[in-house]
Amino acid sequence: MNLDGRKYVIITVTLLVGIIYSIRLFYMQVVDETWTLRAQEIAEKRKEITPPRGVLFDRNKKKIVSNRTYFNLMMKESEMKNFDTVAFAKLIGWTREEVRERFKEIVKGEGTYRNKHTGKRSSNYQKIRAYPFLKEMTLEEIATIAAHLEDFPGFYEEVTSMRSYPYSNGANIVGYLSEVYREEIDEDPFYKPGNNIGRAGLERFYEKELRGRKGIKYIVTSALNNAIESYADGKYDTIAKQGPPLNLGIDIILQAYGEKLLANKRGCIVAIEPATGEILALVSAPTYDPNLFIGKRNISKNYPKLLLDPSKPLYPRPLAAEYPPGSTFKLLNSLIGLQEGVITPESGFPCNKSVVGCHNHPSAGNLADAIKFSCNPYFYAVTRRIIQQNKEKSVFVDAEIGLNLWAKYMHSFGLGQNLETDITGLRPGSIPDANYYDKWYGHHRWAFSTIRSISIGQGEVMLTPLQMANIAAIIANRGWYYTPHFVKSIGQDGPLEQFKKKHYSMVDAKHYEVIVEGMRRVVHESGGTGKRAKLKDYIVCGKTGTVQNPHGEDHSVFVAFAPMYKPKIAIAVFIENAKGGGGLWAAPTAGLMIEKYLTRKITEKDREKIILEANFSGIK
Amino acid sequence: MRKGESIVAHFDWALFVVYIILLIMGLSTVYSTAYNEDHPNFFDFSQKYGKQVIWVGFSLFLGLLVFLIDSDIYRKFSIPIYLFTLILLVIVLFMPPVNGARAWLGIGTMGIQPAEFAKIGTALLLSRVISSVNIKQQTVRTVLLANSIILIPMVLVLLQPDAGTFVVFTSFLFVMYREGITYDPIILKALNSIPGIKFKETWVGTHFIPLLFVVVFLSLVTLLMSNEVIQFDSLSNLKIAGYWVVMISLTLLAILFFLILRFMSSRRDRNRVVLIVIIGYILASGLVSTVNFGFQGLADHQKDRIELFLGLKEDPDGEDYNRNRAMAAVGSGGFLGKGYNKASVSSVESNHVPESETDFIFCPFAEEWGFLGTIILVFLYMFMLLRIVFIAERQRSAFNRIYAYSVAMILFYHFAINIGMNIGFAPVIGIPLPFFSYGGSSMMSFSMMMFILLKLDSQRREDLQ
Repeated sequence: MNLDGRKYVIITVTLLVGIIYSIRLFYMQVVDETWTLRAQEIAEKRKEITPPRGVLFDRNKKKIVSNRTYFNLMMKESEMKNFDTVAFAKLIGWTREEVRERFKEIVKGEGTYRNKHTGKRSSNYQKIRAYPFLKEMTLEEIATIAAHLEDFPGFYEEVTSMRSYPYSNGANIVGYLSEVYREEIDEDPFYKPGNNIGRAGLERFYEKELRGRKGIKYIVTSALNNAIESYADGKYDTIAKQGPPLNLGIDIILQAYGEKLLANKRGCIVAIEPATGEILALVSAPTYDPNLFIGKRNISKNYPKLLLDPSKPLYPRPLAAEYPPGSTFKLLNSLIGLQEGVITPESGFPCNKSVVGCHNHPSAGNLADAIKFSCNPYFYAVTRRIIQQNKEKSVFVDAEIGLNLWAKYMHSFGLGQNLETDITGLRPGSIPDANYYDKWYGHHRWAFSTIRSISIGQGEVMLTPLQMANIAAIIANRGWYYTPHFVKSIGQDGPLEQFKKKHYSMVDAKHYEVIVEGMRRVVHESGGTGKRAKLKDYIVCGKTGTVQNPHGEDHSVFVAFAPMYKPKIAIAVFIENAKGGGGLWAAPTAGLMIEKYLTRKITEKDREKIILEANFSGIK
Repeated sequence: MRKGESIVAHFDWALFVVYIILLIMGLSTVYSTAYNEDHPNFFDFSQKYGKQVIWVGFSLFLGLLVFLIDSDIYRKFSIPIYLFTLILLVIVLFMPPVNGARAWLGIGTMGIQPAEFAKIGTALLLSRVISSVNIKQQTVRTVLLANSIILIPMVLVLLQPDAGTFVVFTSFLFVMYREGITYDPIILKALNSIPGIKFKETWVGTHFIPLLFVVVFLSLVTLLMSNEVIQFDSLSNLKIAGYWVVMISLTLLAILFFLILRFMSSRRDRNRVVLIVIIGYILASGLVSTVNFGFQGLADHQKDRIELFLGLKEDPDGEDYNRNRAMAAVGSGGFLGKGYNKASVSSVESNHVPESETDFIFCPFAEEWGFLGTIILVFLYMFMLLRIVFIAERQRSAFNRIYAYSVAMILFYHFAINIGMNIGFAPVIGIPLPFFSYGGSSMMSFSMMMFILLKLDSQRREDLQ
């Protein structure tokens, strides 16, 4: 038997293992990336530092949305010892079952781990990780608990930043924050579970600016999840950067006053600075205290309540409620008539109540007086002349041309379309054109007599209060407007590009003076419908509206601006189901607002008292 | 010993130098892995690296003692030495268990593991027994005697329980194979008892041991790779199933062996060599495919059972914890490694890989030095193993040769299993990496083993005098 050859078998086996191991090591260390990624997962933790959000200032540098420190009560199971459920439940004021339920919820709910090799998802709860047991507690709340935490090893407090609203006003403007949804996390890698996102209002519109830049810290961690050192001496770390402050055009004092005036009513006030398009106040009534929406606990407690409230406090009426503008719309029809040359400032029409109803007043001999009296037959005639210009023989074809022209004018006033305001939840309102009526009555089956209600701002015409205020601003500017907006500047940068562009209406500036004069007479001359908006030191130009409402009491409307020359404020007030016309409720409200803004004082205390005491909410 | 001749004459410096290099690499890795900021001194004896320095010093001292004693003592006293280690193995069974095994003899941390020393005793006695029988007349009795010398300590070790050392003892089967003691007589006896069959030897029976090893090894590699998908990021995220990686590697290996053997073998052997490589390749591919598709075809619960046995269960934080973390540490080393003392996964401080200074010491080494380090380490071990085989073959006495083969095979098993479990090629059974892992018993026993070999080798010329 030759045994010498067997040494080669042994050498071969040895070499075989050596070579196979070398190949394997080459695969694992040089070629295959899987293990490097796995090692990162294991040992390198990417710790994100969420900066506080940018704060919001009003036009007078008053902080209206700021940040406040809150506390999470964290738990780490691996460090818990001799946990006394009863004592702990007593400490946080829960029942034992509630504490147990919360534990189960954390174990089940806190994220999942996806295995790269099998694609299977499994729960990612780890005893060595810290999870918030109680979230978003105030300093007072944590203070009572913190003193006893040493009896419960494994529990400790962690600081977090949340919103606070020093003024409790403007909830529908600023919006609120809430935790991100899973879809939002999938869509934008910025968000991690538990992060907050702007859910409505400016918080939502300016989310990308306000959220700032997250800081990222790479740390090497041990198997017990303790940080050992910064990874690569912090070479790849970035510093968290707070979002820039937003400087708003809002005057928080005016806003607060507006909310006060509209208490116990449903309606809106929108005030705009005509020269800039900055929104000074945007009151939606009823409203709510934004402090009710701080943190998950508050939101889950208060949101359903407010959502189910029949008076819809969450509904941003100034932006989304579409109302017929009523008689305030006569201003626009007059302007179009003048521009089209179908009337002159001196045109007179008799107050012929047989075509359309009117209240008792002398016939208007000129346009300014017609505005003062708000004479329905007069504007019926004016609008008829716009729509039926006798350009075609057929009255139907003529009406089609006329209406489309009219609609084009209306669009140039920012109506029938979304204003590009920096907030979400806007509605476009409605300006009917020929297509609109074709759908209702058929092509060439309608003429002015069919659609005459547009002449007095009833029927198919719908405007949002924001659009109404913008009309007041256009007239105040004699023909142009900047898109109304909230944010004057983001940090050092000016407003968004879209707010630096002047929009001109199709009506020439010269035609506005007579309208302005008419509006002055409305407030300042006897027989004017808006006398209650009159101020001592300023000339207020306004127009009342009383919107007939098939479902209940009339709505009270008033649009105005002041002073007459170099106007500082344009305003629209809309009060739902007020028992009385525009002159009775909306006009004095607008007057008070204007005075408050211009002088910071209220001289007409009686007027204020009446408004404050009025209750149109349906709830006594 | 002749007069005037140094005791280190005919000393095999090459083996000794590789041994020292491995010692130094091991020490530096233990230092880096167990590094404690509060005790930065390498010789701080309260730390593991300080202790390891003591063990290494003690081992070298033992080596010196070995060199001062005449080599003949090992053959003469092999029976008492073997019995002594057996007694220790019995005594240790009555000791309080540490980490669930009764493996430690001594008090507290200053204990020894008799199982480590039992390898030396077994190697010496086996060498003596086999060298004294005439191989040409081997009988069933010789086979059984040799096997029982191995089997007794194996059973005792398993009682501790210490599965790792148990497996290591099967390395002696390779030694027996080299010396011609195979299971062939048993197989022949069984075969020839069938009427009409008369074999003188069977090929399978003769080469049973290496065949078994290769079959087990290839099956393990195939099973462990069967679930894996290798991702080639540099090649536009090409993904290859583990099975095909094994097959491709096997093909490349066959070509490599073919080329080497073709140019190295004599013209006479060339055809035979070509045939062996081709047949070997076909058989190996067949085995790999059978194991792979056999495994894939199993029902889920059967798969689970095998995966559980192999420590392969897909649960990175559960049963597969060690293997997964260890592989992440090794694999994240990259080509050049993360740098000395920069292991982020496998340092003792981070503790993601348990036992990273003992059984899993290859992890921190591979993480810190990358592929460059690991290929050098594999090369050093290969060199050491082949050098010992070379030394074995130049011995004139059968005792020396058999002992040398024993050392080579024990080291080979430790190398193959220890590194194998770090790279997912072997189940996790805790055995140390020779000369590298932290631990006194293994350091001393491996060193003694090595020095006895060096001593025997340096005196090889006197054996026939």
